Amino acid sequence: MDFIIIAQMVVSGALMGLVYALIAYGFQLTFSTSKSINFGQGELVMLSAFFSLTLLDWGAPFWLMVPGGLLFGVVLGLAVERAGLRLALEQKSEGWILLTIIIGLLGFSAAENIWGRDDRPFPTPISSDAMQFFGVSITPLEISVAIGVFSLMGLIELFKRKTLLGKAFEAVSADRDAAELMGISATRTVMLSYGLSGLVAAMAGILVSPITTVGPTMASALILKAFSVAVVAGLDSGFGVVVVGIFLGALESLTSFYLGSGWREAPGLILLILALAVRPNGVFGKATIRKV
Amino acid sequence: MLVVENLYAGYGASKVLTGASLEVAQGRIVALIGANGAGKTTTMRAISGMLKPDKGRVLLDGKPVQGQDASRIARLGLAHAPEGRKVFGPLSTEDNLLLGAYSRLPLFFGFRARSIHDLERVYDLFPLLRERRLQAAGTLSGGEQQMLAIGRALMANPKVMLLDEPSMGLAPVIVQEVFNTIRRLKADGITLLLVEQFAKSALEVSDYAYVMERGRIVAEGAPAELLKDKRVLAAYLG
Repeated sequence: MDFIIIAQMVVSGALMGLVYALIAYGFQLTFSTSKSINFGQGELVMLSAFFSLTLLDWGAPFWLMVPGGLLFGVVLGLAVERAGLRLALEQKSEGWILLTIIIGLLGFSAAENIWGRDDRPFPTPISSDAMQFFGVSITPLEISVAIGVFSLMGLIELFKRKTLLGKAFEAVSADRDAAELMGISATRTVMLSYGLSGLVAAMAGILVSPITTVGPTMASALILKAFSVAVVAGLDSGFGVVVVGIFLGALESLTSFYLGSGWREAPGLILLILALAVRPNGVFGKATIRKV
Repeated sequence: MLVVENLYAGYGASKVLTGASLEVAQGRIVALIGANGAGKTTTMRAISGMLKPDKGRVLLDGKPVQGQDASRIARLGLAHAPEGRKVFGPLSTEDNLLLGAYSRLPLFFGFRARSIHDLERVYDLFPLLRERRLQAAGTLSGGEQQMLAIGRALMANPKVMLLDEPSMGLAPVIVQEVFNTIRRLKADGITLLLVEQFAKSALEVSDYAYVMERGRIVAEGAPAELLKDKRVLAAYLG
């Protein structure tokens, strides 16, 4: 009996952890091309979710809302790159840190003004009637999160490995100067990475909203956890964020079950501190292979 | 094919190039020699756009390209195999080569089929690279990485190739191999600007040479003449 409760906690936590993993993956995408991340990424998740909800309000069918919301995320990602990153990176300045935080705050105020402060439910045609698997109950809605996370990450990884543009993306990550010498524009590659990271953020928003709710603060806890996952896994391992995300999600739900929900945020922070102390490159971070 | 006129460039307050001029005619191999710190690598970087020149002109096939982004200059037909080789370590040997042809290939599908001919040409030139095609470039030996860097530059079918210190850090046997490769490329009619610390070997493979000192050209001529020049001999050829 006790075992089934633990299994239940682990499974529901792990599914939530996949959302952390997806957002953390968005950090990795931009970090690999430009050694920068968008500190307002949580607001991208939230704004895309609100926008998607608005599409539904306007009467768009659910399956049309999804690409619409994703496209909106891409546009937001590109806007962040243009407004917050490009100038700072050109001047080799760290100004992007402050700029992305400010853009995030602007997005937050905009959301409060446009959509209000209240949390709103996000309607979905996917059922949340629990199904039993060996005594553990899982809802189709939760399964849709897993499918969404894995298919988007899988598609992006396929793109990076199988297309020449994707290989160029990897080349810029490996050596920006040498990539330029091949005729690859580093600036455009950074744009691409921010577009993709906006796409990923929007996907996270659309997947998580039906389970949580949509509100201006919906992503603030999410983003902290995603950040922990990215740092613990290492900023260069897509496989790593999935493993760490699942682990952290499971750990959190066990913690809140046994110690009380007030302790829910603790494991992420403890993991983050441990990782920084013991393995600053991340558990799955690669030591750079280089011969001179 | 490549003309450099009165080029000034540097890093912040330190001015490295102070009016360098040189010319590489089509189908010629031109060597640029000089002591460490004379500005040879900086010249290369200023030509290919890795470094924006402060003043002067760079003409590629008659068109001025100075001040443009390196990626744009590369697309116009200049391939720079940089100092330190700079292969893409995590990517496979073959992916490195494919990226060399990036500006001529479709970005999504069919790029492999379109590049088979060029890949075969590079693999024939460097059979070792064929054996290592699926291996991560970062795990190749120094000599193999140098061959990859040259092969990657060749994949672009460039109008002009810049080759910076190909022998750096390599065992003497491998250095010999690198120079043999340059001879074969010469027979194929490549247009090449070569920077090399082994001045004597560089002069042996080249059609013309410039001697650089403190950021400008101090002597030039056919290799045979330079080899007779006592000053050049004393300063660079020991």
